[in-house]
Amino acid sequence: MLPRIVEVRKNVLKKNDLAAAALRDRFRAAGVCVVSVVSSPGSGKTAFLETTLALMRSRYRTAALVGDLATECDAERLRRSGAPVRQITTGTVCHLDAEMIERALDGRALADLDCLFIENGGNLVCPASYGPGEQLRVVLLSVTEGEDKPLKYPTIFNSADIAVVTKIDLAEAVGFDHAALLRNIERVRPGMPVLPVSSRTTYGFSSWMALIARRIGDAQPEPTPVHIDG
Amino acid sequence: MHELSIALSLVDAVCEELPRLGEKVSIRRVLLRIGPLAGVSADALACAFEIASSDSPIAGARLEIEQADGRALEIAALKVVDAAADC
Repeated sequence: MLPRIVEVRKNVLKKNDLAAAALRDRFRAAGVCVVSVVSSPGSGKTAFLETTLALMRSRYRTAALVGDLATECDAERLRRSGAPVRQITTGTVCHLDAEMIERALDGRALADLDCLFIENGGNLVCPASYGPGEQLRVVLLSVTEGEDKPLKYPTIFNSADIAVVTKIDLAEAVGFDHAALLRNIERVRPGMPVLPVSSRTTYGFSSWMALIARRIGDAQPEPTPVHIDG
Repeated sequence: MHELSIALSLVDAVCEELPRLGEKVSIRRVLLRIGPLAGVSADALACAFEIASSDSPIAGARLEIEQADGRALEIAALKVVDAAADC
């Protein structure tokens, strides 16, 4: 019998996309703002989240999920902020996908949270294809990594909503060229907001907190519409 | 690592199609469309696909990759033969 060709037209990551869509619905219904943070290893994701959680503590109910290949180190550091933290150890898998997030959230009530942070592994290539259902994706890069990072890893810059430049307190010491970085970001993702911060000195965190506050406001469940005539 | 995860998803996605293709079919070829923004290396995926499919119901299937636009990462078509015809 002759071979036949069956047309399929099916997205390979459909399962992840469906799981991510279900998560997004769950986050929306609970009115929780979900922010994911991606970067290469050593860019300062954990330090950035430590400072973020500490600054948000008095005003917001926050929680974090952190993904790593092994150890609970990151979770232990973040727990010092007082926020509930769950570590997802991925074994040899380099990313968190929607199904892993779903499993990690199992049984957790989301409605009592304002903001959930997801620290998504440590590389710039892989999480680009796997969305965990977040509303805001932040890509971090540190001044020690070089201004050409956006050109080398355009996919993650294309899929993220905002770029945060960390370790800005070291900029002078490493001869960081801020203008060159902005040019490179502009080349791969025109119009992308760029936020320089230092997690040690909290430089730049007032802008970051203002942005998060707006996002948390946006994530609140819509009030019943009131019609005003005239 | 990344391509291996995608290859495993790809094998799952093809296997999900099996029931609607009829009884005892064998998949000869998987035609995949990948866009430049999918973040997937075609060579690495082809290699990973061999490993991922080797112990699956679609073992022996060959992967054929076609360039597409944007972030596309989709199975376009399957080349199928009815296994009974092979005996």
